Amino acid sequence: MDFDTKVKLHLYETIARTTQAPSSREVAAALNATLAEVEAAFSNLHKKKLLVPEPDNPSRIRMAPPFSGIPTSFRVKVQEKNYYANCSWDALGVPAALHQDAVVEAEDGYSGEPIVLEIRNGLPVPVSCVFHFAVPAAQWWDDIIYT
Amino acid sequence: MLLFRSEETAAKWCGAHGFPVRPLITLEQLWFLATTWYGNRLTVDSRRPAPEEMVEIFGGIGLEGAFWDPKAEQG
Repeated sequence: MDFDTKVKLHLYETIARTTQAPSSREVAAALNATLAEVEAAFSNLHKKKLLVPEPDNPSRIRMAPPFSGIPTSFRVKVQEKNYYANCSWDALGVPAALHQDAVVEAEDGYSGEPIVLEIRNGLPVPVSCVFHFAVPAAQWWDDIIYT
Repeated sequence: MLLFRSEETAAKWCGAHGFPVRPLITLEQLWFLATTWYGNRLTVDSRRPAPEEMVEIFGGIGLEGAFWDPKAEQG
């Protein structure tokens, strides 16, 4: 297994277990690697669109889709753990990645009205809602934090 | 992407932010995309779908045209 893959797996497994994205220093310690090696791996994984470092701090993970490295308005509860997702797609991506049922606490993007989405027995429970992409697919990663 | 209670609040958001109203996605369509995108994210072989695969994935649930093509010309 190449080093980038080791970093990717460690990163995602750590978030799944703890709900928190580890820093490059924590990943380096866990994998017995140097900080430079880990941050180079972060950069490579960013190019593969598997993570997004904080724009002003390459040691921190802003996004490891579907997980968010920072609190957002998309909260996902899986058993007793609470994760944050980057958007509504990623909010459903958390139970999809973990292969577990979940309750998503979100809100209407215009009115702020709370909306609860639930994945039960591997399927979404029907609820009145729609999803809207403002940006075309060709531009999603031009500013993925906005998208 | 954003979640809305209804087509009406989605349209109001678009009007307030100067975006055209794009095709709206259903919960079932989004669950399909979520499981397709992220179902193997915690595995060794996980990767983001390639652009050609994305077009096929979107097309499979009726999302077709330049808006859903990651290689479409911008502008």
